[in-house]
Amino acid sequence: MRRGFRATTAGLWASVLASAVAAACTTGTIGGDASDPEQPPVSTQACTADPGPSPIRRLTRFEYDATVRDLLGDDSAPARAFPSEEESHGFTNDANVLSITPALAEAYMVASERLAARAVAKLPFGLPCDPAHETTTDAARVCAKGFIQSFGLKAFRRPLEEVERAELLELFDAARAESGTFGDGLRVVISAILQSPSFLYRVELGSGPAVDGVAVPLGPYEMASRLSYLLWGSMPDDTLFAEAAAGRLSTKAEVETQARRMLADPKTEAMVAHFHEEWLQLSRLKNVLKASDVYPEWSPELRDDFSEETRLFVKDVFWSQGTLDAFLGSSTTFVNARLAKFYGVPAPEGSGFVKIGLDASQRMGFLTQGSFLAANAKPNQPSPIHRGKFVREKLFCDLLPPPPGNVVIKAPDPKPGQSARERFAEHTKDATCRQCHKLMDPIGFGFEHYDGIGRYLATEGGKPIDATGEIVGTDVEGTFDGVTELRSKLARSQQVSDCVVRQWFRYGYGRAETDADRCTLDRLGRSFTASGRSFKELLVQLAVSDAFRFRRPVGGP
Amino acid sequence: MLPSRRQFLRGALGTAVSLPLLSTLGGGRARAVPPTFPRRLVVFFTPHGVVRKDWILGGSELALGGILAPLAPHKKDLLFLKNVDMLSAGYGPGDPHQEGMGALLGGTGCLADPLGSGGRRADTGDPVGWGGGISVDQFIAKGLGAVTRFPSLELGVISDFDQVSGRIAYLDANQPVAPTNDPAVVFDRVFSDLGADPGGLARVRAERKSVLDAVHKQFARLNARVGKEDRQKLQTHADAIRDLELRLSAPGAMLGGTCSKPTRPSIDPANLFGYPQLGKLQMDLLVMALACDLTRVGSIMWSHAGPTPGSPWLGFAEGHHALSHTGDSDVDSQTKLSMLKTWFASQLAYLIDAMKKVPEGEGTMLDNTVILWGSELSVGQTHSHKDMPFVLAGSCGGYFDTGRLVSFSRDAADKGRSHNDLLVSLCHAMGRTEVKTFGNASYCSGGPMPGLAKA
Repeated sequence: MRRGFRATTAGLWASVLASAVAAACTTGTIGGDASDPEQPPVSTQACTADPGPSPIRRLTRFEYDATVRDLLGDDSAPARAFPSEEESHGFTNDANVLSITPALAEAYMVASERLAARAVAKLPFGLPCDPAHETTTDAARVCAKGFIQSFGLKAFRRPLEEVERAELLELFDAARAESGTFGDGLRVVISAILQSPSFLYRVELGSGPAVDGVAVPLGPYEMASRLSYLLWGSMPDDTLFAEAAAGRLSTKAEVETQARRMLADPKTEAMVAHFHEEWLQLSRLKNVLKASDVYPEWSPELRDDFSEETRLFVKDVFWSQGTLDAFLGSSTTFVNARLAKFYGVPAPEGSGFVKIGLDASQRMGFLTQGSFLAANAKPNQPSPIHRGKFVREKLFCDLLPPPPGNVVIKAPDPKPGQSARERFAEHTKDATCRQCHKLMDPIGFGFEHYDGIGRYLATEGGKPIDATGEIVGTDVEGTFDGVTELRSKLARSQQVSDCVVRQWFRYGYGRAETDADRCTLDRLGRSFTASGRSFKELLVQLAVSDAFRFRRPVGGP
Repeated sequence: MLPSRRQFLRGALGTAVSLPLLSTLGGGRARAVPPTFPRRLVVFFTPHGVVRKDWILGGSELALGGILAPLAPHKKDLLFLKNVDMLSAGYGPGDPHQEGMGALLGGTGCLADPLGSGGRRADTGDPVGWGGGISVDQFIAKGLGAVTRFPSLELGVISDFDQVSGRIAYLDANQPVAPTNDPAVVFDRVFSDLGADPGGLARVRAERKSVLDAVHKQFARLNARVGKEDRQKLQTHADAIRDLELRLSAPGAMLGGTCSKPTRPSIDPANLFGYPQLGKLQMDLLVMALACDLTRVGSIMWSHAGPTPGSPWLGFAEGHHALSHTGDSDVDSQTKLSMLKTWFASQLAYLIDAMKKVPEGEGTMLDNTVILWGSELSVGQTHSHKDMPFVLAGSCGGYFDTGRLVSFSRDAADKGRSHNDLLVSLCHAMGRTEVKTFGNASYCSGGPMPGLAKA
């Protein structure tokens, strides 16, 4: 199914590239804004109004911690102790596999109780009144009612229904009667709210009639939540709540205004960092070990520096130039004294990291950083296979099959005077191996200048280094010399551009793409290219897309 | 009706049992019943199979050597199997590691997932999803009902690969259960209430009950409004809350006998250099949870079946997975691999020892337990599911006839005995004698595996 989809996408791209009009895909009848020439309100054979699957999403651990921080001012990050989420397509927020286990249900209970206890210790936090002055039971109830209404709205990210308010007030009354204190009543209310499905899940039922029977517009509160979790990984802020209360966020323009405002908020940084951590598999670095006889300079400290360098680099790229080209090509990076020594540049003053420029012929972008090069290597040598595989899977979005059974897979031991290319020649000799390895190894050979911990080598074993490589089966076919030329190829590849869009789609929408999303992806890809491959513009387009502002009717079309 | 007092606990066999650990027995009916102990199931998972030449059983004499040498002192309590294949692993999508993970305890293939959550199958390119059915540990835990505070405990030792190759336990198809890697988190969940003021605990329980009741109502209302797939997800959550509520009134642990509150561990749960300490802490916590009858089902995953990292505590940086793919002629790598497998066997020996230190009646906890040592492959190098290196430890209350090697024959098509029957045997040992098949029924003979149970 996905194969078919890929082929179709490629076909669509071909037509996009061939035609300046690029009208293979239009949006259908939804979101028809006559003033927007890109969004003609017509259905075509190629595209329907189907916004794709709209599964209910439970908060991920990342989202849970951010949400309780914004809701309660509690930065204890209790979700770090929750069971891990399952990973799908490289991301841990796929709604399809965000399931519930007994351990998680229990962890929710315990976390809610602790959060609630801490919250009431900070009273009159969030209260419409001061409980110390509410002496009568009735006055206290009025106060609690007000709290349930205002706190409940923020926690459920929508106004509470009458039955919900009544139930929570009942809990308040019972707990207050039991212990005699106002705070205990409130504590139990907060605990119940934090275990409610309306808090733990992003519930979207849609509002209004379906377009073409397949797409229902989201309600304003639902839209506020979609935006805040897309761009912040957290709950809506006061402005979004106000927009929702005023019934706005139903037009593309209103959504776009908010998306641009939100992107300027520092809260976006954590979300962007989290995306890159998962896309680039940065957490794998923590378990990377190296053979100390081959790489005596390797240390846990250097490994952590690599992590920090990439974290700072990714952040800087996103917020400075903000483009895919900078991500792939910027020779600006961040070093502390240890890393400066590693990269062979003068050490900065002080113990922190500073922004510097490296030799642009040796270091350009993420693919030449220690974090990538060391993680995609063997303990005693570089691994062209893993480096090539990463480029293939993470930048071209290819899903490579695993190696067949019954083959001996062992990197040949390094011998003096022999390059990785020579060691790995076996793969391209054997016909069975060649099938897949021709997709990976020749890309990896382009990294021959970088050893197993990412050092730049001008020569190897006294011989000049052959860093020529080849990319096959993509839109940038052909040979190249070294990462400099590889980078140029990647930078002009529509497929790479398309893949980055797809990675953001998966992460941003919390699901894998399906056939129904073909037109959405196609349109996102076009605007990404048109914006000079700006990440921020891509996020704005993800927010205003019809697929984001509509859902399938509950119970199916 | 659920028992409210521990002495009327219903055991896995459905008989009224009393737990002699208790100092608070008040006499009455329980005293008249001879003490029996709950039966337990523990799964001990290590990845990537074994090194065949070093898997030394020594025939029916059980002269354990090589990888199995650390288990020699326990051979009377062990049951080895020969020519048991994981046949039900081989028909679904997934690479051999994924197939093996889904089938090990589930006895069925992984799901075909059009969205390809878990990558592609090597030969056909088909995308693979999560496991295709409930795993035997979860099935047994569910069947026991809310007799203990926790249905089961899934523990991991740096088992941090959150993909198909990183899960063995499933609540149902497509519902993997993640292991917990941090011993402190396990402690907080399982033991933090232990020994707390009973009056305070009763108040907490009452409060939890009223909150969970309210939450449950919210789930019910929402469930009526969402589509079918969302409803399924929410229902699972609502069920988990209902179960949690029931378990609040399950008998909590009472200190006494071997049951005592452990110290709260504090250790980096992701540091490979601390792997042996992490493993020991997790095993100690599991044994104590069983000794306190806080749960009767557990599993411990030593890493995972994905791209496992190196073994610095044994002095080598090469990853377990990479080593498992080396050829027989690569003596250095094969030696390291055998070292690691032997180390895993020594960890199993530690767990067995720890259980033997818990006296239960005339015997020990091990006598009332069965530990299944399993892997997703038999040999990493070939990705084979043939002649799986299954080892059982403990007789599970006298069900298994231990101290033996049970050999099966291979048929004309070189097929051994299907391991699904072994899963049925585990059900029977745990008192579920009505179970005829487990997992994919076409790989079941309709009963437990012959020759394993005591005559």
